[in-house]
Amino acid sequence: MSAQLPANLSEETVREISDARDEPEWLLEARLEALAALDELDLPDVIQTPGRRWTNLEALDFESLVDPLNQSDETVREAPDDVVVLPFTEALDEHGDLIEERFGSVIDLEENYLTALSAALFTTGTFVYVPEGVDAQDVKVRAEMNSRSLFSHTLVVTEESSSVTILESIASGEDADEDRYFSNLVEIAAGENSYVQYGSLQNLDEETYTYTLKRGDADTYATINWIEGNLGSRLTRSDIETELNGDASETKIVGAFFGHEDQHFDVNARVWHQAENTTADLVTRGVLDDEARSVYEGVQDVGRDAWSTNSYQRENTLMLSDESEADASPKLIIHNHDTEASHAATVGQVDKEDLFYMVSRSIPELQARNMLVEGFFVPVLDEIEVDEFRDDLEELIAARLQ
Amino acid sequence: MSSEQDHLKETDTEARFEFKKEQKAAFAAEKGLTEETIRVISEDKDEPEWMLERRLRALKQFQKMPMPTDWPGQPDLSEVDVDQIVPYIRPDVEVRGGVDDWRDLPDDIKDTFDKLGIPEAEKNALSGVGAQYESEVVYQNMQERWEEKGVVFMNMDQAVQEHEDIVKEYFMTKCVPPSDNKFAALHGAIWSGGSFVYVPEDTTVDMPVQAYFRMNSEGMGQFEHTLIVAEKGSEVHYIEGCSAPKYSAFNLHSGGVEVFVGEDAHVQYSTVQNWSKNTYNLNTKRAIVEKGGRMEWISGSMGSKATMLYPASILKGRGASDNHITIAFAGEGQNIDTGAKVYHNAPETKSTIESKSISKDGGRTNYRGLVHIANGAKNSSTSVECDALMFDNESTSDTMPYMEINESTVDVAHEATVGKIGDEDVFYLQSRGLDDDDAKQMIVSGFIEPITEELPIEYAVELNRLVELEMEGSLG
Repeated sequence: MSAQLPANLSEETVREISDARDEPEWLLEARLEALAALDELDLPDVIQTPGRRWTNLEALDFESLVDPLNQSDETVREAPDDVVVLPFTEALDEHGDLIEERFGSVIDLEENYLTALSAALFTTGTFVYVPEGVDAQDVKVRAEMNSRSLFSHTLVVTEESSSVTILESIASGEDADEDRYFSNLVEIAAGENSYVQYGSLQNLDEETYTYTLKRGDADTYATINWIEGNLGSRLTRSDIETELNGDASETKIVGAFFGHEDQHFDVNARVWHQAENTTADLVTRGVLDDEARSVYEGVQDVGRDAWSTNSYQRENTLMLSDESEADASPKLIIHNHDTEASHAATVGQVDKEDLFYMVSRSIPELQARNMLVEGFFVPVLDEIEVDEFRDDLEELIAARLQ
Repeated sequence: MSSEQDHLKETDTEARFEFKKEQKAAFAAEKGLTEETIRVISEDKDEPEWMLERRLRALKQFQKMPMPTDWPGQPDLSEVDVDQIVPYIRPDVEVRGGVDDWRDLPDDIKDTFDKLGIPEAEKNALSGVGAQYESEVVYQNMQERWEEKGVVFMNMDQAVQEHEDIVKEYFMTKCVPPSDNKFAALHGAIWSGGSFVYVPEDTTVDMPVQAYFRMNSEGMGQFEHTLIVAEKGSEVHYIEGCSAPKYSAFNLHSGGVEVFVGEDAHVQYSTVQNWSKNTYNLNTKRAIVEKGGRMEWISGSMGSKATMLYPASILKGRGASDNHITIAFAGEGQNIDTGAKVYHNAPETKSTIESKSISKDGGRTNYRGLVHIANGAKNSSTSVECDALMFDNESTSDTMPYMEINESTVDVAHEATVGKIGDEDVFYLQSRGLDDDDAKQMIVSGFIEPITEELPIEYAVELNRLVELEMEGSLG
């Protein structure tokens, strides 16, 4: 079932967005194609078991959520000199050819209704280009959302033997008094033997509905490591995916979420092993308080020709409240026997013995519990290479525990 | 190939399943499924009016429901055209409801079960045996001492007549309603044969009872129904075996199993399935477990072209528990999609699921399972373990577990591994003088040991033989 095209959306709207930004013809065409495809496209797949639909995207009313011509954001970008970090629109002037070649090459823009909507309407985003052999650290992109809806598109291209660590954060500017919608597509094309760590921190206000799809394409010997922290927004649907297309490429997908009140997180980590000697490690840790609900799907897909694959997946959910709910589905799809693959998932409470031990050492119970929750996130925090990102995430977790 | 395997092949297992008998029948329904067919079957069985009504309701349900086609990675069911199968064949046997002496059976049918080794097993290891040939149970017997204690083990059609009130209460009403899925609806419309087991309070049936299902005719469907009611504090182990010779047209097996495990009762349900590789095996099996009760599902799926089977336990009473052990072996052209479903609907319920699968020569196995912990099922725990062994990169091994946790005071763990057969293990065994084939077979036997040790020794040996036969000669 495809969602209805919002009535406030037409070819004119898209032309207006494109014209205002003085975009090249090819990009306008791409936007219009995405718009035209909306009629035929479905919302992203959601797991359904007898009597239970894990996330209800159909309930989103795009007509009232989407306000394409009044998008507004404030984005601050910091980067070392030898790497290109530009607002997407500005980058078109100087790097138009490269962007034309790579835009929509990792993510099929017409993959589903929400990706097409995003491609047709995006007004912000970042282009990151790391030239051959350059090692760049601490690229920071901090965005504030200041409108009813915001659509963002980020493209990262790394050339041979380069490396980069990136932090992207999104938060709300002024307080929203209405339902909002944030959509974010991120494509990474990692060249031969390059290394990318892409960290993102989402802390939008809890009137916002968020959809993000981040996908990387790893060439030979390349490594793409994703780290995502989700704390904000009412409903988050996040897909983080890596295609290991080059021999000996690697990926880590590390995620943390902490839900409270009636927040709903639908987080997904997927990896496709398409070449020889590839390695993947998927780690997700989540905490749920109050009536928060989480949905997790992890997919490790090992192709016919993916000889000598190593693939691991772990998902752990900690429930702090009786009213919270956690659904999880870690999947293995294996077509090659020369594989070592495993996955594990657990759901439980704070360990009673640990708690007892700490209380017996005279730490008040609530404080002890909070320390254990903070400790639960350590495997995620340890992976983060941008210090500021780690500090921010720690701070947000600590704040939620108060 | 080792001499041991030659021996196996010539003397035993293969010959035991692959023989065909001339197709003789006293009554065979027309191909296809219409209200008329169902009325004719029901009349032939002389059923009460309410059963005919239930059949007709199920038929309507079946016609309404779409074929399942959108499950990720599911077997292709496009060949399964119900209008192409013969839903009901009554074998040419004089005694309705089955004889109680093998010697009273026609020679060809007796010979079939002799070859399958059923009478032999009955003497040695079983409390009772039922044997179904095509659509009807032809032999049914139980040791007298159980009858005296009030244990009932009879064929389902007979139970409709003789225990009408129990059957009317439990038959596809509370456990597996026809609306559950398309093939449960089909089953409800044209079920025939199967077993009815009733174990009175505090009675322990210490040796297993067994039912054996044999399809002999080409292009038929077998739809037996098994209903087990185990009263408070009772205990019973039910074993089901299945086989058919291979034909070019497809056969369909769509059984229904309903188990009611009373307070503190214990039921074990074991299946060794060796359908021929043209059979679609689409079953619905479910148990409702009361307070303190225990349900165990042991399944070995070796045969069939495609299997979709997810035995389910609904843990309804406090402290109820479930144990699933499943083994799937998919060779060339086979798609074995199997798993487990457990609903934790009460506090302190416990489930453990252990799944082992082996795929080779392009075979496909899939573990598909659901564990649901309802709000209020405090202090429940579940552990799921799936291990898969793959022989080559033509084969596929999928693992698709689903966990739904609505309660915080729980302990939920899921683990899965996939790997190839260990080169080091093979090398070690070869260094001890075993050849490559024997070494691999030994590793596979070790891999499936958790299930074989749950079965009486005769069946464990049988299962091992089946696996050895599957493995034979094709190891690289």
